[in-house]
Amino acid sequence: MMFYFRLAWRNLWRNKRRTAITLASIFFAVILSSLMMSLKEGTYENMIKTTAGDFSGFVQVHADGYWEEKTMDYFFEFSEELKDSLSDTGEVDVFLPRIESFALAEAHANTKGSIVIGIDPELEKTYSKLDERVFEGSYFAKGEISVLVGKGLADYMEIAVGDTLVLLGQGYRAVTAAGKYAVKGIVKFGSPELSKQIVFLPLEEAQRLFGAYGLINNLVLKVDDAETGMKVAHKLDGEIPGSYEVMGWEDLYPDLVNMIETDRVEGYVFMFIMYMVIAFGIFGTMLMMMAERRHEFGVLIAIGMKRLKLAFVVFIEVFVISVLGAMLGILGAYPVCYYFILFPIRYGENVAKMAEEFGMEPVLRTTVEPAIFLQQATVIAIIAIIIGIYPFISLSGANAVDEMNS
Amino acid sequence: MKTASIFISALFIVVSLPAFGQNALEIVKKADEKMKGNSSRAEMTIEIVRPKWTREMSMTSWAKGDDYSIILIQSPARDKGTVFLKRDKEIWNWVPSIERNIKLPPSMMMQSWMGTDFTNDDLVKQSSIVTDYEHKYLKDSTVAGFPCYVIELIPKADAAVVWGKIKLWIDKEEYMQLRTEFYDEDGFLINIMTGDEVKTFDGKKLPSRMEMIPVEKPGQKTVIIYNDMEFEIDIADNFFTTQNMKRLK
Repeated sequence: MMFYFRLAWRNLWRNKRRTAITLASIFFAVILSSLMMSLKEGTYENMIKTTAGDFSGFVQVHADGYWEEKTMDYFFEFSEELKDSLSDTGEVDVFLPRIESFALAEAHANTKGSIVIGIDPELEKTYSKLDERVFEGSYFAKGEISVLVGKGLADYMEIAVGDTLVLLGQGYRAVTAAGKYAVKGIVKFGSPELSKQIVFLPLEEAQRLFGAYGLINNLVLKVDDAETGMKVAHKLDGEIPGSYEVMGWEDLYPDLVNMIETDRVEGYVFMFIMYMVIAFGIFGTMLMMMAERRHEFGVLIAIGMKRLKLAFVVFIEVFVISVLGAMLGILGAYPVCYYFILFPIRYGENVAKMAEEFGMEPVLRTTVEPAIFLQQATVIAIIAIIIGIYPFISLSGANAVDEMNS
Repeated sequence: MKTASIFISALFIVVSLPAFGQNALEIVKKADEKMKGNSSRAEMTIEIVRPKWTREMSMTSWAKGDDYSIILIQSPARDKGTVFLKRDKEIWNWVPSIERNIKLPPSMMMQSWMGTDFTNDDLVKQSSIVTDYEHKYLKDSTVAGFPCYVIELIPKADAAVVWGKIKLWIDKEEYMQLRTEFYDEDGFLINIMTGDEVKTFDGKKLPSRMEMIPVEKPGQKTVIIYNDMEFEIDIADNFFTTQNMKRLK
C-alpha cells in the first residue's frame, strides 16, 4: 500500500507545473467557499445572538398559550416548585423573571405604542448586563421606581433623562394600567426594532402597574448557547408539572429560522456550481496525465503490471492532489476567516439600514466553526473519488501494444 | 269562493313584498333614532366575562348627537374617575391617578376598550346603519317573544365599513334592536349582539341588557346593563371638552 502511495507521489511531481496549477485551483476554490460559508454562518450567529440571545434568551417559559395570543390573561407565579422542575436538566444557570406587555407611552404630547418589560434590576445587571447598555443617565438604583427607555423611543418622543414618561394600557384581567415615571436612563439595543419600542421598569413596579401582584408572564432561562437552548427547551417542554410552555429560540423566532434556512440553501447552490467547475478542472488534469503516459502504461502492462493496480495508482494520484489542495485551502482559509472575526466588515449605509430593520448588528462577521471546513474537505474528497473511477474504466480494457503505439 | 280567497291572499303577498322592500330602510331608520335620541344620559354596568374570570365596572355616560359623548368610570376603585371623551373621531382619555389627559393614537383604535369585547374604534365609529348600508327585508321572526323584522344590511361600495354583512332583528312594535349579527367579508359570523330585559326608560321602551358575544372565542362575552337612562336632556356642547373631563364626578 505504502508502495503505491510512494509511486503516486513521485508520479505527481514528475510534472510539477501541472500539479501546482491543479493544487492552486482547488486551494482557491476551498478558500472562497469556506470564506463564503463562514461569512454566512457568522451572519446567522450574529442574527441569532442579536434577536434571541442577548436579551430575550435562548429559552423562555410562559403559561401555556401565551406566545400564541400574547394577551394579559397568561400570568403565573414563579414558585419554588417550578424553579426546581426547571433546574432538573442541570443546564440552566439562571432564571430571569419578567413581565412583558404593551402599553401606550406618552411624553411631551407624543404618543407611541411600546413594549414594557418589568425586570429584576439586580439579576439583569449580573446576567443580561442591562446596566451596560445604559449610555445616558444611569441604571436603576436599589428600590427605586423609574424607567429606562430605548434610544430609538427616546429619540422619537424627544425624551431626555429626567423627563416624565406616562404609560397607559391594560393590565391583568382588564384592569387599567396607568403610571407616571421619571426617566432614569436611556438604553442602547443592537436591535433597532427593540430600541424603538422598549421601556424597562423594575419588576415590582410592573406588577403594580399591570395589577399582577406576585406574578410574571415570562421566565427567561439563561443557558450557554443557542444549541444548548434548543436542547433544554425540547427536554422541558410538556415535561414540567403544570400548564406551561417551554420555548427555544427556534420556536420563538420561526421567521429567523426560515430566513437562515433559505439563505443557507442559496449558499449551497453557489458552492455546488463552484465545485462543479473545480471537478471538471481535476478531471481535465487527470485526462492529460493519462494521455501523456499512455506509452508508459503500455510498457508497464507489457512487463506484467496488473491493470487494476495501475488504475489504483492513478486513483491515488487524483485523490492525493485533491485532498492536499483541500487541506492547503483550509489552512489558508482559517486565518482569513479568523481575521474577519477580529475585524468584522461593516456594511455600507443602505445595507446597514436593512440589517437594522431585521434587528441585527450591521456587521459581517465570520465564524471558524470546524463543520464548515470539514464540509469543504468532504466535498473535494467525494469529487476525487468519483473522478478516480475513470482510470479503472479506461485502463480495464487497455492493450499493451495499442498503448505503446499511440 | 275558496279559489277566490287563495287568489286574493296570493295577490296580497305579491303586492306586499315590494312594500316591505321599501320599508326596510324606514324600519332601520326608526330603530336608529330610537337608540340615539338627541341627547342622553345613562347609568350602566359593564361585565366582562372570560373563561377564567369576570370583571364588573360601573359608569355614567352622556351623549349628544353623533359626535359627542363622555364616559365616566365610577367603579372599581382603581379606575374611578377615569373619563373617555369622544369628539368627532377623536378619543381622549383622562386618567386621574396620573393626572394625564391622553389622546388615543390611531394605532390604539383596534385595541380593546377597557378590556371589553369592544374596540376603541367601536366607540368612535362613524358608520351609520342608515346611510352606509343597502337594506333588504329578509323575513319575520320572533326574539324572546317579540315579533321582529329581520333585515339584512350590505355595506355600500364606498362606505368605510369593516363588516361584510349585518343582520338586524328589529321588533315590530317598538323598533328595538333585539339581535344583531355581524359577518365578515367572507360571510363568517364574527359577533352577535343581543338585547333583552326590556324596560321603560324615560318613556322609551328599550332592552336594558345587551350582550356582545364574539363567536370564535368560547366562554367570552361583554354584558352591558342599563340601570337608568334619560333622554332629551339639556346639555351644552362645552360639556364635551377636555377641560370638563377633569371636573366630572
